[in-house]
Amino acid sequence: MAPGPDETFRTDLVALVPRLRRFALSLTGNPQDGDDLVQAACEKALRNAAQFTPGTRMDSWMYRIVQTLWIDDRRRNRTRGTTIAPEDANLSDGGRGANLPEDRMMLGKVRDAMGRLPEPQRAVLSLVAIEGLSYKDAAEVLEIPVGTVMSRLSRAREALLPQLGLSQGRRQ
Amino acid sequence: MSRETVMDKETLAAFADGELSPEEAARVVMHLADHPQDQAYVDDLMAANAALVRAFAGPVNEPVPARFQQLLTPEAAPQPGATVVPFRARLRRRAPVLAGLGGALAAAFVGALVLMQPDAADPTLTAGPVAPGSALHGVLAGQPSGQPVAYGAGELTVLASMPAESGFCREVELLDRAARRMQVALACHDGAGWSVDVAMSETLSPGAEGQDFLPASGAEGVLLDRWLERRGAGLALTAEEEAAAIAEGWAR
Repeated sequence: MAPGPDETFRTDLVALVPRLRRFALSLTGNPQDGDDLVQAACEKALRNAAQFTPGTRMDSWMYRIVQTLWIDDRRRNRTRGTTIAPEDANLSDGGRGANLPEDRMMLGKVRDAMGRLPEPQRAVLSLVAIEGLSYKDAAEVLEIPVGTVMSRLSRAREALLPQLGLSQGRRQ
Repeated sequence: MSRETVMDKETLAAFADGELSPEEAARVVMHLADHPQDQAYVDDLMAANAALVRAFAGPVNEPVPARFQQLLTPEAAPQPGATVVPFRARLRRRAPVLAGLGGALAAAFVGALVLMQPDAADPTLTAGPVAPGSALHGVLAGQPSGQPVAYGAGELTVLASMPAESGFCREVELLDRAARRMQVALACHDGAGWSVDVAMSETLSPGAEGQDFLPASGAEGVLLDRWLERRGAGLALTAEEEAAAIAEGWAR
């Protein structure tokens, strides 16, 4: 029997991989970097499995690891902007998510707009709007006050909505 | 320019994000009924949330890639490139109707398979290149659809063959009744050779009296369809088309 994290830990972690990949994709903007990030996070989780308290939320724990590694990586590679390859982006819309050309354009705009947000705003918006975390859970993942979650969300949306052609008073 | 609202935007956002208590939410609902501009802002927030979910939905609709399977459950993925994901039993929309052709050819392969099986104790289908000369390679290269072949403790059946963007794909099923396991895999020939794109395994449970075993989690198999779509696979070949493809070594 090899030492290391037990079966349950590994199984739970595998079950989280799809969501972690989605989170990482929304942060990095492309599937390759996203998967590299998730791989690094999983490796770190396996090394530090002893620090995880069974019974607590593994998803929050893993989101935090992913986010921290991403921020570290961004700090080290300041010059590398977020790149979103159109073909990668199309690959990652699930194939059937966007059949109408307008719909594809819209999803392209969303990815583009996400890539332009400052990192802290992008992380908050992803956790709340995409991963469906409560403000409180997002605050715990990011280790910031709930008020900061709300203000970052607010700023992220002020930037994002107009880029999506939303919230420009067209119906007002 | 951002939309102006009467109620503060953080409250409207908290409402859209489902953060408000029932009482607070009810108060916002009442307010929205009288303030269409605020309602429009809430609509925008919800549209943006929905668009974000869809824009990054890819990973949650795909099987867990092999690299993570290997990293996290090494024992579940014994071979490099293996992708083993649980799958939900698919409806047999491509019934194995390709009967009867090439009987002699098939028999020849059956004979060859028994001799060639490299790991007859517990052969499984795993993602990655298929070695020429292996039992699986023999089946993929020459076995007509719908004709089971003994394979280890189970039987292997090609369910259907499809033309793809750069060659052909074949859907194969490995059924091991004794071990109560079924695997379905998609193998494709891209001109150079055969490789398994994805293999999915499922535990079987006994069907009704006298019937075959049925997968425990009955539902349509959307996963395999995604891989077929990725390969640009078309409709299943007819028996004649398949026979021609076999005869030509799956060359295009």
